Amino acid sequence: MFQKPSSDIALSQRSSDGTPDDVETVVGPSVHVQGDFASEGNILVKGSVSGNVKTSRLLTVEEGASIMANVKAGEALVSGQIHGNVTASTTVELTASARIVGDIKCANLVVEAGALIYGKVAMVGLKDLVGEKSEKKRTSRRKKTRTSLPSEAHDDVSSEEDNMGDV
Amino acid sequence: METRLTDFGIAGKIIRLQHFTNTQAIIEEEIARGATAIVIVGNDKTFGHVLSRAASSSILFGFLPVGQDNSIASVLGIPVGVESCDVLSRRRKVDLDVGWFNNRYFVSQLHIPLADITIQYDEKFSVSSKNGGLELVVCNLQPFVWKERGGKEYVVHPQDGKLEAFLRPLLHKRLFSHKFEEPSIFPFEEMIVTGTKPFVVSADGKESKETKITIRLAKNRIRMVVGKTRQF
Repeated sequence: MFQKPSSDIALSQRSSDGTPDDVETVVGPSVHVQGDFASEGNILVKGSVSGNVKTSRLLTVEEGASIMANVKAGEALVSGQIHGNVTASTTVELTASARIVGDIKCANLVVEAGALIYGKVAMVGLKDLVGEKSEKKRTSRRKKTRTSLPSEAHDDVSSEEDNMGDV
Repeated sequence: METRLTDFGIAGKIIRLQHFTNTQAIIEEEIARGATAIVIVGNDKTFGHVLSRAASSSILFGFLPVGQDNSIASVLGIPVGVESCDVLSRRRKVDLDVGWFNNRYFVSQLHIPLADITIQYDEKFSVSSKNGGLELVVCNLQPFVWKERGGKEYVVHPQDGKLEAFLRPLLHKRLFSHKFEEPSIFPFEEMIVTGTKPFVVSADGKESKETKITIRLAKNRIRMVVGKTRQF
């Protein structure tokens, strides 16, 4: 009848199969984390985080959770809100309840209908293509500038030759 | 038990502990006299009482669990009673990480019951509850299992060079019972717990009241004889 808050939190419980789970850091729903938050393992955010979040593995942001800074992860599964840039080395998956105000940079992007993004999306797969295009643009710009200013260029060369002759 | 130990050729001086015995001073004295191993006989409370101060001593420890309240023994793979002598005789030595707080060591776990506390981790980020109170458990040796609603279990295994902190924020405060939220988990190397009022700290079953504590991991601090069925 007079139930006291239990002192042992499932310490006596054991796993049924004895296999370790991947979840290493869990931020509960009514927990607020302030400051830069980094972990080597998986991170599961159910509460709010005001500060940069960094992990080399999976970051899961559950529905109702919020992160108010930049996020860097190996893989990200977002169902909550992120106010900041999201960078993932592999996949960013956004579910219908995801809200992202910031840029996304990743290799693969999965977006479910209903997810909202306000920012730029850059994917690593097109980096080479973008690189080639920009290279072509640069070369064409150089050509244009050369054709528009042929006499000046010639004058420069001749002036250099004159100087060499003086020496 | 003494007969069994004699059968294995284990014998030595027996010192009986009192409440205010300074175990570190006794152990240092015995090391100076030529002791090579210290065997703790008793339950979790005895284990905590000896090692809370004596963990800094560089000597081999053994444990013979006797009587009630012996949860640490099962973690170390030592059976309760006479069978523990067999484990001791095999001399399977392992360097254990221990937790450290305010000049004391804890081997198994540290528990802070519901209190208005703020926690700062590794001088990088701080954690607080939106509803005020928090309950904190820091695990060192014992694996922690958190059961989720769907029947899924998260098992966090210690001995990975970090301590695991489990926070349980208060959800609703009622007259006769409190409702807690599911625990949050943070691995850490150092944490500072501060409270506006003094809060109870229970380390290996030994209670004290503090206003600010620093919890750290002391790596490979204790060399101990353990059993084959240890849980780490």
